[in-house]
Amino acid sequence: MIRKVMLGALLWTALLTLLHVQLNIGWDGLNTKVKVIMGLEREQMLVGFLPVT
Amino acid sequence: MTSHSTDGTVFESRKFTDWPTVKEALIAKEIGGAFILAPMAMQLARDGVPIKIVYLGHRDGTAIVVAKDSNIRSFQDLAGKLVAIPNRYSNQNVLMHRMMRQYGMAEDSIELRELPPPEHPAALGSGSIDAYIVGEPFAAKAELDGTGRVLYQAKDIWPNFISCVLVVREDLIEDERVLIQELVSGIARSGKWLDEDIDHRMQAADVAGQRYYFQPPELLKYVLSKPPDRVKYTELAPMREDFDEIMQLAYEIGVLDGQIAFEDYVDPSFVPDLDLRSWEFDELPELDIVRAEALGQ
Repeated sequence: MIRKVMLGALLWTALLTLLHVQLNIGWDGLNTKVKVIMGLEREQMLVGFLPVT
Repeated sequence: MTSHSTDGTVFESRKFTDWPTVKEALIAKEIGGAFILAPMAMQLARDGVPIKIVYLGHRDGTAIVVAKDSNIRSFQDLAGKLVAIPNRYSNQNVLMHRMMRQYGMAEDSIELRELPPPEHPAALGSGSIDAYIVGEPFAAKAELDGTGRVLYQAKDIWPNFISCVLVVREDLIEDERVLIQELVSGIARSGKWLDEDIDHRMQAADVAGQRYYFQPPELLKYVLSKPPDRVKYTELAPMREDFDEIMQLAYEIGVLDGQIAFEDYVDPSFVPDLDLRSWEFDELPELDIVRAEALGQ
């Protein structure tokens, strides 16, 4: 019984984590973040501008 | 913008052609920040867009331009005339109203009409408007084309005039402070580098003209040197008294639909110390390539 509960909790946590990545971060974003953390890519920030004021 | 960061972060710029798209890109988190008009930043914050002003883009760099052969010699001569402004939410619009008050003129004594800045010089040349107020390089363009004459530089009628401000998303301010600090410090160092030597400004005109603004470098060189204080890239900390004045005026003339506390739309915590050093190089990294390309054209 305990094993079933533990397995269920694990699966539920995994499902929520996957949903969080899908809905809030995006797989591309996660991929980039991991590469930055691993030092494979430099962090980037996009800044918009209009060439007029 | 700088992509020459020494701290491992790359900042890329994306050119937009209209303000609503910039707003949508900020909301959708497609971009981390943007240079936008100061009153527009206030209105966006009031509308609940999660952004804050962290730095200014530049100071001054705006002018009121009339036709070269016009008999308009003073601000009062603009009464009854049609004057183009870049945008309802521009500080240029606020400046026109500030001047009308200063000269005791009725708020509707000058007809103000929104017109995309690149169209200002041609509209003046064709006689469809009597004057325009705009940020550079479109004031200098009419001068160089021989069709326009500067009536007033903004620096002479509203010293340290603010036009564009740097806004960044609040989630980045909370989660990526190092990133935002690097961006702001990079802009501050670039500003110091630009303002410390006129040759630096000429180099920047070559690189920015061809790589970013797609404007003739000669036009940008004129903007950055005639006179040298036509536009300033230092003293870019967002000051409460400056923004309070803009907000009060913008509210009174109906540009803003309400007021908002300074702390709710400005975060000055990224402003670098005054002793921040300029960039150490004397020549822009891309300069040789850009100038070689120009010769090859």
